[in-house]
Amino acid sequence: MANADGGAYSYSLTVFSPSGKLVQIEHALAAVAGGTTSLGIKASNGIVIAAEKKTSSILIDDSVIDRVAVICPNIGIVYSGMGPDFRVLVTKARKSAQAYWKIYGTYPPTRVLTQEIATVMQQATQSGGVRPYGVSLLVAGWDSHRGPTLYQVDPSGSFWAWKASAIGKNMVNAKTFLEKRYNDDISLEDAIHTALLTLKEGFEGQMTEKTIEIGVITVPTPEELEAESPDGITGRVKPTFRKLTEEEVRDYLSL
Amino acid sequence: MSKSSVYSSPGFDFSNIVRNNFLHEKGLPLPKATSTGTTIVGCLFKDGIVLGADTRATEGPIVADKNCEKIHYITESIRCCGAGTAADTEFTTALISSNMELHALQSGRKPRVVTAMTMLKQMLFRYQGHVGAALVLGGVDSTGPHLFTIHPHGSTDKLPYVTMGSGSLAAMAVFESGWQPNMEREQALNLVKAAIAAGIFNDLGSGSNVDACIITANSTEMLRNVEMPNVRVQKERDYKFRRGTTAWKKEEIRSLVVEETVTPIGRGDEMDTS
Repeated sequence: MANADGGAYSYSLTVFSPSGKLVQIEHALAAVAGGTTSLGIKASNGIVIAAEKKTSSILIDDSVIDRVAVICPNIGIVYSGMGPDFRVLVTKARKSAQAYWKIYGTYPPTRVLTQEIATVMQQATQSGGVRPYGVSLLVAGWDSHRGPTLYQVDPSGSFWAWKASAIGKNMVNAKTFLEKRYNDDISLEDAIHTALLTLKEGFEGQMTEKTIEIGVITVPTPEELEAESPDGITGRVKPTFRKLTEEEVRDYLSL
Repeated sequence: MSKSSVYSSPGFDFSNIVRNNFLHEKGLPLPKATSTGTTIVGCLFKDGIVLGADTRATEGPIVADKNCEKIHYITESIRCCGAGTAADTEFTTALISSNMELHALQSGRKPRVVTAMTMLKQMLFRYQGHVGAALVLGGVDSTGPHLFTIHPHGSTDKLPYVTMGSGSLAAMAVFESGWQPNMEREQALNLVKAAIAAGIFNDLGSGSNVDACIITANSTEMLRNVEMPNVRVQKERDYKFRRGTTAWKKEEIRSLVVEETVTPIGRGDEMDTS
């Protein structure tokens, strides 16, 4: 009954094991731990999220792979785990952000969107006939209330904020590396370098601009914030999240 | 006409239209929607599109808003002028703007003007003309500059210069005599300003200021109130009354300002992870 792998309790998601665990969620976390590494670092003036673009064969056209996704102009996400589950969650997150915009006229604050995604993921742990999402997400965003924030969301649906974190295959080593190198007033430029060094630690093979993806949150200047207000004349909010182009990644790698 | 089943059938429910017509026949005055009256124009020039609009919103014979914004945001390089019922144009353009952003993120491509046009016309046709939005949609995308008109029933036209709204005839007269292909930016802007001015001065449903928007492949410039030909003149006399004109017997002064300090108790708005 109480086997190490859960025994009879490990096959049904809606049944607790005697030790108080939902074994399916443990298995989902194992799926995440087997996925390619991704990490996020919060700097004093922005956030950087990055991921390895590991492909199983050199014949794969890696220009089509999307590890870092834009949700709305101020929020971006990276993942470790099952790619298809990530795709579905990204679509839901984008729709959720637009639904928020339609009601409130602004894009959701990072925490609100993270909570909505986490709710979707939790619903897959308490319904019949479904399985948990096999991804952990790092959500990076900027809002005027809390500034830049980085959240991790797990298959269980729990989420919490990080200053710097890594998920996936190499997460233990990466987190140890980040603990040594992180300080509270790290700048965005230093954070990008640290992210690249952390990725390099566990990287199998050549790390080039084609095998990693980087997304960056930049904090808007007071002038840009002024332009966003009802009196300012711009179309919509200036994007604070963007993915670095291959040329920009190559420049950072060469430094 | 209430539905007994909990499942609502797809498509728009027109049962209220029947009820409203019945009430109107019995003598109930129908509520007046805020109509923008309006003169809106768009014209193609050498580098892209210039859109123009007046700024008066009417409620029957009354001016409801002397400086409203009729050039709505669809995407960074696509804008839409709206004539007709103000609420309809606002909500329709906001809905399509949101859907365009979603579409752009999902497809990974810069959004196209025809996409917005298709979304708008399909929505307006679905509502069979009851959504009173007459739109001038213009923008520049990867295939070049495009200009469309969309009528409330869902029909569209693709043209190099267009006008809509109650002032459209006045504006079109200016366009027909002044438009040439491959105009320069200044020439196109002046033509649009003249067309809107024609609407402002010759149509009662249009008035106040001129708004313009210049869209090119590289930038979109929103010129809010680029011309203000109806600024209120300063009053000739001072109409204030001398203090003491009205005598008073008793005076009592109370402060309505409440002084309060807020002390947060507990953890504030942090998540409770205990």
